[in-house]
Amino acid sequence: METLTYVFQFETILLLILGLLIGLFIGALPGLSSVMGVALMLPITFGMEPINGILLLIGVYFGSIYGGSLTAILINTPGTPASAASVIDGYSLTKKGLAYKALQVSTVSSAIGGVVGVILLILVAPQLAEFALRFSAPETFALALFGLSVISTLTAGSYAKGMMSGLAGLIIATVGLDPISGVTRFTFGNVQLLGGVSFIAAMIGLFATSEAFRMVEDKIRNTDSSQTINKVKLKWSEFRAVFLTILGSSGIGTFIGMIPGAGADIASFVAYNEAKRFSKNKKEFGNGSLRGLAAPEAANTGLTGGAMVPLLTLGIPGDAVTAVLLGALTVQGLQPGPQLFVSDGSLVYALFIGMLLANLFILIIGFSGIRFFTKILKVPGHFLMPVILVLSVVGAYALNNNYFDVIVMFAAGIGGYFMKKFNFPVAPLILGLILGPLLESNLRRSIILAQGDMTIFLTRPITVVLLALAVLTLLSPLWNIRKKWKPDVKGEI
Amino acid sequence: MKGISLLFFSLLLLLSSCSNQNADSSGSDFSGGPLTFIVPTAAGGGTDIVTRSLGSMMEEEMDRGIGVENIPGGSNAIGMIEGANADPNGKTVTMVVAELAMLNDLGLADISPDDYKPVAMVNLDPAAITVPADAPYDTLEEFIAYAKEHPDEIKIGNSGTGSIWHIASEAMGSETNTSYTNVPYEGAGPAVTALAGGHVDAVTVSAAEVLPQVESGEFKTLAVMSEERVEAMPDVPTFEEEGYDLGTVGTWRGLCVPVDTPEQTVDKLEKSILETADSKEFEEFMNDGGYGLEIKDSEEFQAFLNEQSEFFDEMLTELDMKQEQ
Repeated sequence: METLTYVFQFETILLLILGLLIGLFIGALPGLSSVMGVALMLPITFGMEPINGILLLIGVYFGSIYGGSLTAILINTPGTPASAASVIDGYSLTKKGLAYKALQVSTVSSAIGGVVGVILLILVAPQLAEFALRFSAPETFALALFGLSVISTLTAGSYAKGMMSGLAGLIIATVGLDPISGVTRFTFGNVQLLGGVSFIAAMIGLFATSEAFRMVEDKIRNTDSSQTINKVKLKWSEFRAVFLTILGSSGIGTFIGMIPGAGADIASFVAYNEAKRFSKNKKEFGNGSLRGLAAPEAANTGLTGGAMVPLLTLGIPGDAVTAVLLGALTVQGLQPGPQLFVSDGSLVYALFIGMLLANLFILIIGFSGIRFFTKILKVPGHFLMPVILVLSVVGAYALNNNYFDVIVMFAAGIGGYFMKKFNFPVAPLILGLILGPLLESNLRRSIILAQGDMTIFLTRPITVVLLALAVLTLLSPLWNIRKKWKPDVKGEI
Repeated sequence: MKGISLLFFSLLLLLSSCSNQNADSSGSDFSGGPLTFIVPTAAGGGTDIVTRSLGSMMEEEMDRGIGVENIPGGSNAIGMIEGANADPNGKTVTMVVAELAMLNDLGLADISPDDYKPVAMVNLDPAAITVPADAPYDTLEEFIAYAKEHPDEIKIGNSGTGSIWHIASEAMGSETNTSYTNVPYEGAGPAVTALAGGHVDAVTVSAAEVLPQVESGEFKTLAVMSEERVEAMPDVPTFEEEGYDLGTVGTWRGLCVPVDTPEQTVDKLEKSILETADSKEFEEFMNDGGYGLEIKDSEEFQAFLNEQSEFFDEMLTELDMKQEQ
């Protein structure tokens, strides 16, 4: 009972909703990520009651992940890396005039994903945490490779072009300080490149800026690209058809969330890949599949529950957002870790209830806002284009208050424009850029830990399973192509 | 409805354009107008949190606005270069971190303590050698003895090659004639996680960063690398007490202004910062967050910076990591 009175107070609920709305706004702006949103709100919470402050931050966290998907679906511009995978089928649906339905799927999947994540957190947090701790460098390397193998399903027709795009991402990821020995690579003496090419700036360029360039081209050629919006709603039968995908993807998201170092970007791509693997109709993926949208949406919110597992049970943050939350908890005088459940038990359960409520509010805010959100599609291209460009510049600059990121953004925008022109998919490049450092540092760290013994990758069960999955995913498209006896394939293998 | 969306976006653009008007604070006069604190790390980290709360407390004390600007990247070099190149009028103050004394020697960036005039230091977190609670050694002596018998066997997690916690491990090795396998992670947090998972045998990160696990009984800290014991761990001895001459190895944070700032302005800033840093409120904040409160005035901070530069120069030369610029 004490727990309930903790949460169900006017002020607390109001702050949670306020947090969600702020998060929604921050998430929808490209360049402002969840971490930044939570970090910016952090100082405001110092003077608040612990539960109020924490739930405000939780609201911003959850809201920003949902908000990032809105722009991904509507204008092909993921607001945060967590929504990069939602672009693929989400924007395809919008192009078909099904934006309304797409947002419904996104909202429902996000809410269910979030709830599943929290329920798993409540039920099996301690056991999950133990498992998550077994992830050492070899396991994380194998997980990163598995995430990378998803490229083979993002090829949009040409396996070779998808692979080239992914490899380009991996190569760009090597720029900067080498993660293990601290040697500079391809920086040409430029301090700005020490930290590597910012993948968020690159993502803004590849998705948003290049889209604005395309709109200019359409305008010049007079091929009007303004979208139609059919107010086609999600049918009950369609929801039932994607329900299992949502549940499975939520689980994947929660699982990946609790692994230290792996974030929402990987979770959503892996969930997309698994949804496709278990789908009978693989062709619809990439062309506006409801499943293809539901999977990453459920995974990136399912992740939020998972990410809280190591934080609350062990006092160890699994990613950047939970690292900021750890700071918020300690400043409030709470010490996350095994004793937290004993010393501040009612507060922990109040936090759980708050998290469930946050997902419920996402459902309500989402459904009542869809009509408003889709209005953006009625804005003619010649208004939308400059707005997207300005937002891209502001977003890239706001990342680090640094003009260099704006240059990166424009370079990626020009590159992305030509990639789209020649049918190279851009998602693999982003995936390569995100996973490259994770892959490299954990491969080399594993070898250091094993003191040079490469069999470390074959003697650990989790590693072996993940590596096998990676190889299977990477090669399965080739198998399909071979079966069809396409003559041009032999050269590729 | 079209009007509403446009209105929404123009509002948004307006909001975002408000945030970066600090670069050209007019004139070279310190009086009047808001101050800017540059933080060379990302929002949300320890450096950011300490700066923001110090800033908001100083706002009241000085009765003028203080904006915090995060300029992360390049091993904290970019923000510190920007801060050193700011107008030397005292209105742009930079929270410098330990990397300031290393970046030049590592050959990574052209920035060193010589580019700054120190105003006041507020925080020092020394390295703490921490192991799992069930490890076969209970004291530093036993740990060193074990390491001597088993060279390179103990795996020590650190926050990246060339980072302060890596230097700490190497410094321990060279002072005690032992050798270890150093495993770099992407920061102190992941290294602590690896220790909790049993993937490494020890970490050399700060006491604050292992405090939750030490308090819950999962880890034990054997010794700290500072001249005095750490407030949060009063029972843990220093290396010096155990008979090793290691001095202070750790991360520190302090406010600096560009080297050409007039003496008078530095004095005014120093007075305000020290007044706030000495307050009960700031002390409470630092204790709650587990940050080591270590206050040095401008002169002491300068001496400390010289000492640290010398130490890192020596260490990096010994480790063969020093690059001639």
